[in-house]
Amino acid sequence: MTFDFAIPDPAGWMVASAEAIALVVIVAGLLQIVFYFVLLLYAGAALGTRPPVARSATLWRRYSEQAPAISVLAPAFNEELTIVESTRSLLALQYPDFEVIVINDGSKDGTLARLVSEFGLEQVDRFVDRSVEHAPIRGFYASPRLPRLLVVDKENGGKADALNAGINCTRTALFCAIDADSILESDALLRVVRPFIDEPDLTIAAGGTIRIANGCKVDSGRISDIKLPRNFLALVQIVEYLRAFLMARVGLGKMQALTVISGAFGLFRRRQVVEVGGYSHGTVGEDMELVLKLHRLMREAKRDYRIDFIAEPVCWTECPDTLSVLGRQRARWQRGALECFVKHKDMLFNPRYGRIGIVGFGHILLVDVLGPLLEVLGYILVPLLWALGLLALPWLLAFLAVTFMFGVSLSIATLVLEEIQLRRFPKARELAMLAVIAVLENFGYRQLSNLWRLQGWWQFIRKQQSWGTMTRKGFSTS
Amino acid sequence: MTTLRDLWEVSLALCLLAMAALLLLLLARVLSARLFDRTSASRRRLLPLLLDGDPAELEPLGKRELQTAADLTVEIAEMTRGSEREALLARATALGVTDLLIVQLRSGKAQSRLNAVEALSMFEGSHDHVTGALDDRNPDVRLTAALALAQHANAPAPLDIVNKLNVGAEENSLLLVSLMVDLAETDSEAVAGLLFEKDLSYRVKVAAMDALSQRGGEYAPLLAHMARDSGNEPDLQPRMFRALGRTGHPAGAEAIMEGLLSDNWTVRAAAAEAVGNTRLVAAADRLSALLNDPHYWVRYRASEALLRIGARGVSALRDASQSEDPIVRSAASKMLAEGRA
Repeated sequence: MTFDFAIPDPAGWMVASAEAIALVVIVAGLLQIVFYFVLLLYAGAALGTRPPVARSATLWRRYSEQAPAISVLAPAFNEELTIVESTRSLLALQYPDFEVIVINDGSKDGTLARLVSEFGLEQVDRFVDRSVEHAPIRGFYASPRLPRLLVVDKENGGKADALNAGINCTRTALFCAIDADSILESDALLRVVRPFIDEPDLTIAAGGTIRIANGCKVDSGRISDIKLPRNFLALVQIVEYLRAFLMARVGLGKMQALTVISGAFGLFRRRQVVEVGGYSHGTVGEDMELVLKLHRLMREAKRDYRIDFIAEPVCWTECPDTLSVLGRQRARWQRGALECFVKHKDMLFNPRYGRIGIVGFGHILLVDVLGPLLEVLGYILVPLLWALGLLALPWLLAFLAVTFMFGVSLSIATLVLEEIQLRRFPKARELAMLAVIAVLENFGYRQLSNLWRLQGWWQFIRKQQSWGTMTRKGFSTS
Repeated sequence: MTTLRDLWEVSLALCLLAMAALLLLLLARVLSARLFDRTSASRRRLLPLLLDGDPAELEPLGKRELQTAADLTVEIAEMTRGSEREALLARATALGVTDLLIVQLRSGKAQSRLNAVEALSMFEGSHDHVTGALDDRNPDVRLTAALALAQHANAPAPLDIVNKLNVGAEENSLLLVSLMVDLAETDSEAVAGLLFEKDLSYRVKVAAMDALSQRGGEYAPLLAHMARDSGNEPDLQPRMFRALGRTGHPAGAEAIMEGLLSDNWTVRAAAAEAVGNTRLVAAADRLSALLNDPHYWVRYRASEALLRIGARGVSALRDASQSEDPIVRSAASKMLAEGRA
């Protein structure tokens, strides 16, 4: 097959250059794919050999005496639409000993007023730590009727700043950082605390699975009916989240090379987090940076430790369902990953940091740093060079293999793993629908996603810093 | 070129393979939905049999319904107590549930064995089978068996249980404390004896100490001795002081007072917490001195303890709230405000 604009009898150097470009793109893509398949194998091994999953009632009976107290930190910024429902849901968690600390990060709407009026709170005083830095606290609100709830009102400083204020206010050895607008499964704390009970001297952090709540019915702050959304973007993100949590994080957790615990749901040992200065200011990837700082602290001090990921605990979150909001979110995530990479670049392939330097940072380099650049380059150049007659058909096929076919097989394999090990989609029809989405996402969405990531690259280069607003609609209620 | 084509063909093959696997699973899902309907019908039929009637009149169930009966038994047993529960378990035994559970103890899946041990431990006559599970290859199953056995008077000796738990890999779980608490209910002397076993890990000993501390002042002198003696165990000593504080016994006073002067801030904080628990009024001055400790946790525990030890402590806090030192003033005044709230 030849095109009219193909170059007749191209010079040898032109063909060699075109092949060199294609080779770089294909090898980089192939490395990513191989790494993902290795992660999938590790994830399969982790799920297959994980300790038996007990029912909630059994967990409660087992852990009620020994489960360490947890402070749940929920930073809120302009969340008046969802804050009351979210707080109610947090207060109804099944866990023997916990406190909910809602941190109002200088909201401009009625977030604080709604909390105060709905829960009958009054201003109180509290003796708090000042170990980590944050913007000034304006006041504390509590009620004797709800001893588990504390609301901290502070000046605006961003999510990391709000979490730092929460850390200073906790009086427990463990804290759980969540997004105020997400919904935790009622037994999520009982499940995510397991590594802290099994290995109390080693575990310093544990992450849990995030699932997308779009389309689900919410009743009294609980997911009452799991359904797939109708919006294509939300559906694609379900497949993405499955890949990210079920494959990548479970796999990296098994390797003990986890570099990120989602800001939407993570359990940490307070002491080590304070030792690293809490969450970092001036970055949009504060969740990733905290985990990297913890690795650095423990590796440099040559202390044994574990950072685990548990597949079962579930935190539900609303995902963006419009292109503009999703694009902003993805650009922000990309920028966050790049900021963390640059800030800790000395850890890359540094034997002093063991598997974090080799596997963890290798993963960031391949997927977050080089991935979008090379993939977009490939989308533009490989088909063009083939059309110009500078690349033979097998080069194009190999490019399509690494960008489309392997991607499809990886996504389907993740669905297979989910079905064998977790079975969290109640209906077979939903699983089939996700399989169709796993194929379709490769045609259009994946390319768009890479453009957003390039946008993140551009913002990183230009050092743009902003919270990035996330438009919330609130969960649908039954 | 061949390699490039191979890449394309491998990717196609992998894609088809993954899709075929998913199709198979989808088919299995459709079939299991029918099985679910059958199970639901079976549960509706079995529920009245388990809840009412004379066990002697019940016939053993067929293989197909037995698992449903076992699941239902465990669910209901967790919600019932006393004679009602005993009658339920007797009916379940008559239906053949215990026989199924004993078979499941030999299952290849750790999850099945763990569930079987938990369920069997509810049945009176299953002690030997649960004891046998202490030799299971999975540490979770072993720990579950140990926790179940520890609740009965005829549990094996604590040392034997601990040795079985530590086969292959050392058991580090915090649930060791629950285990020791239950074992100490039956034989606290044997649990105390673990503290003197040379080859036992410190984790087991600390768990034993935590358990003994919950028995009041009986073991306070022993715990005080160990708390003082553990200065070379910086990670361990704070836990010992907290355990000592839990006894609430004056025999620990001297050791706790010494702990307040420790160079290790975690020990000072734990000793201050112990003062609060034992209401050790004599420590008020030392606690006041800790209000300007460089570590927040020490200041917090000290101010909290002052609040808890009563009038003398509150008076010390009031004095401190007038201090010229802003750190002392803040700690005292905020704790007084918390006390009023």
